[in-house]
Amino acid sequence: MLATVLAEVAPFVRPHIDWHAVAPELTLLAVGAILTLIDIVWLERGRKLTSSLAGFGLLLPLIPIVTLAVSDSDTRVMFDGAYVIDDYSLVLKAMFLLTGYVVVLLSTNYIGEGDYWENEYYGLLVSSILGMVVMASSRDLISIFVALELLSIPAYMLATWRKRDVRSNEAGLKYYLMGVFASAIMLYGMSLVYGVAGSTLLTEINAALSEGGSSEAVVTLGIVFVVVGFAFKVSAFPFHTWSPDTYEGAPTPVTAFLAVGSKAAGFVALMSLVVVGFLGRDDVFGPLFWVLAAGSMTFGNVMALRQKNIIRLMAYSGVAQAGFMLAPLAVAGTGGTSADTSISAILTYLLIYAAMNLGAFAVIISVARKTETAELESYNGLFTTAPVLAVFMTLFLASLAGIPPLGGWFAKFSVFTALTNADTGAGYALAVVAAINAVVAFGYYGRLALRMWVEEPYLGDKAPIKVPVALGFALVLTAVITVAFGVYPPVATHFTDVTLVAGV
Amino acid sequence: MSEFLRSYLTVAIFGATGCLLVGAFVGLSALVRPTRPQAQKYLTYESGVDPVGTGWSQSNIRYYVFALLFVMFDVEAVFIFPWATRLEAYGYFGLVEMAIFIFILALGLFYAWRKGVLRWV
Amino acid sequence: MEAIVFFVSAAIILAGGLGVIVLRNPVHAALSLVATLFGVAVLFIDMEAYFLAAVQVIVYAGAIVVLFLFVIMLVGVDKAEDIYAEPIIKQRQFAALAAAGMLILVALVGVAFAGDVTGQPSNEDMTISRAIENPDGTTTPAETSNINQLAEALFTDYVFAFEITALLLTIAVVGAVVLARRPKGDLQPLPDVEPSWALRKPRAVTPTEATDPSAGDDADQDPDETTVDQAATDGAETDEAKA
Repeated sequence: MLATVLAEVAPFVRPHIDWHAVAPELTLLAVGAILTLIDIVWLERGRKLTSSLAGFGLLLPLIPIVTLAVSDSDTRVMFDGAYVIDDYSLVLKAMFLLTGYVVVLLSTNYIGEGDYWENEYYGLLVSSILGMVVMASSRDLISIFVALELLSIPAYMLATWRKRDVRSNEAGLKYYLMGVFASAIMLYGMSLVYGVAGSTLLTEINAALSEGGSSEAVVTLGIVFVVVGFAFKVSAFPFHTWSPDTYEGAPTPVTAFLAVGSKAAGFVALMSLVVVGFLGRDDVFGPLFWVLAAGSMTFGNVMALRQKNIIRLMAYSGVAQAGFMLAPLAVAGTGGTSADTSISAILTYLLIYAAMNLGAFAVIISVARKTETAELESYNGLFTTAPVLAVFMTLFLASLAGIPPLGGWFAKFSVFTALTNADTGAGYALAVVAAINAVVAFGYYGRLALRMWVEEPYLGDKAPIKVPVALGFALVLTAVITVAFGVYPPVATHFTDVTLVAGV
Repeated sequence: MSEFLRSYLTVAIFGATGCLLVGAFVGLSALVRPTRPQAQKYLTYESGVDPVGTGWSQSNIRYYVFALLFVMFDVEAVFIFPWATRLEAYGYFGLVEMAIFIFILALGLFYAWRKGVLRWV
Repeated sequence: MEAIVFFVSAAIILAGGLGVIVLRNPVHAALSLVATLFGVAVLFIDMEAYFLAAVQVIVYAGAIVVLFLFVIMLVGVDKAEDIYAEPIIKQRQFAALAAAGMLILVALVGVAFAGDVTGQPSNEDMTISRAIENPDGTTTPAETSNINQLAEALFTDYVFAFEITALLLTIAVVGAVVLARRPKGDLQPLPDVEPSWALRKPRAVTPTEATDPSAGDDADQDPDETTVDQAATDGAETDEAKA
């Protein structure tokens, strides 16, 4: 009986694995395993090593990424198209790895000096980055979901890393519950999409959805649920409610990580899903992204104006910035080159946003080392106590506000280009909303800058602020990238001028 | 009814018969036995140590780690089972993939062991 | 017959789901979740996916619910009456209203789109009991059991996701250990105000508090010194479990 069953079964065909293409992921996996092994073997004695090892380990996968970028074959496809390594994914992988490296720099002193589990911290951080790196290449519902969980679950734990602090517990719990809720909604959407398309591959989903003939209601609900699930992840209005509390309660380096890394990963998934999977259904996702983008920009900015705590201010300004990044997706499906332009615009924005936001958080962490508070008031007279930090902070704030010739200006410029390029009424309307919001943002960024330059020092304390080497290096690194991308935009466009549609 | 579900009909009939038999015997004994209720007879352990407090007591968090480890290896078994049904078909490729899978999971177990959460006293 | 099995198990699932949210005792709610998961397992059998059904019972109805129960017992069920408190006034009524609204919304969406809310059956060749064309031109015969197809998928297209799943499980264990272990050294009572590194909420800072000289001596602490301290407590670490 068994023999007859076995005889009927088709022979197993071993999948083709391009080892060069997955080298970055494998390297990162090995780094994570080594970090855990160090912890297993040496316990606390390995503590001194882990921080520098994690930083080094996050830079190591850049080597295969560079060799992949210069290699002859442009696009490498594995697993029937579920895993694609193209220019788009390589740029993103490099960005995630560098983000992770800067976060390690931000964490070194913070985690080293506090009463934290240091080994586990870096192990989880590396795992989360691995999830993002996998996300950049995933073109399949299952890969995307597994990558999302891999990047989220360590982040939930990192948010609650200050175990004895009630606020950190609140941060972790809120983030976890909201994240799981979003995952559930998204999974439901994915199952509906799979039910209609009969495949988890994004390319086949696109074919099936564009073809029509399937139930309108199911397709609509599926796309809306998937997008809403990721809207939670990128903290877009009205799904942003977790972000201010989580950002405030989490350890500040983790906040920087959430604000840059995990938000960017959400956008990467949205880009892949929308441009590769749902592109034929512009009628469904176009208006949805329009509302999300306009709402996020407006609400985020209005709320940021009222904040008295810098972390909460950064959280709401992050909601507003997410709105800017969502905007090009609203016009991605209008035909012509709009999909490619939108992708390039979002990618540019992500790169620049990562640099300037991490830089701002580096300043916040440096200042909090002395003042131990996140009150906006504690930035009063920063120029007197720490002139260099004040200059850096002003630079990052100006970039976030979008003042030329800094990176943030070019990021906003690319978004406007993408919106007007589509040449639709909705696109122009969204560009107007974005322009108004760009002006509103000056309100809170400018007020914070004024505090540093004009006001008397906080509590009359004029003692200088000592900045550790790791933090200082992170500041210089992010500042150089922020300025370089703004002063000479071709540096940015050289990397971000990619195409996602043709690559598959 | 499909062939597939018909085979499950046996299960249903068997289960129903079982319930019926147990019910019949318990019912029969209820009819013929004498009933003289006493408080002692209603204790959870009539002839053992007297139960103290309520059944809803707070448990130690260390149980949780054990439960989670159990779930982890439960899921591992779920993944190993499909592989084991056609072991020879996947050859060395399957073996290596499964070895990596188990190695990563074993890291978690070693970690828990080394951190002392498996030690009870 | 399939229809009867479907409706009976659907009723069990819905009743269980209702029980999860209606029952006041969290343990009863968790047990009613078992009924839901069991109903889903029966549905899987109805669709001839018996491996999935077995997994559903073993992992979900067995292990996951046990985990739920541990967490409930961890908090202590006797403290469960706290859920009667309403942090937001009339929140139950609002919740009921919102739920009803969602239902109406979903129904409206269904009606608006030509009425077929259940969708088309997925592609014919996806059905388990039919033959499948492999990408390389061969055909997997219809009789192949779905457990073998599952393994096939696991070792071909999804092999990467499969390995990452292992990493996810390991992360879960690391997380549980981190959360369940006590911090190093002696336990201080939970701070009323913030520990030195915490960033305060606006209302927490009053001028007297902010000028408190005791605040923030940790910041300038020599990193090396801290490490030495932690190495010293290292030995005490194995004793943690005794407490």
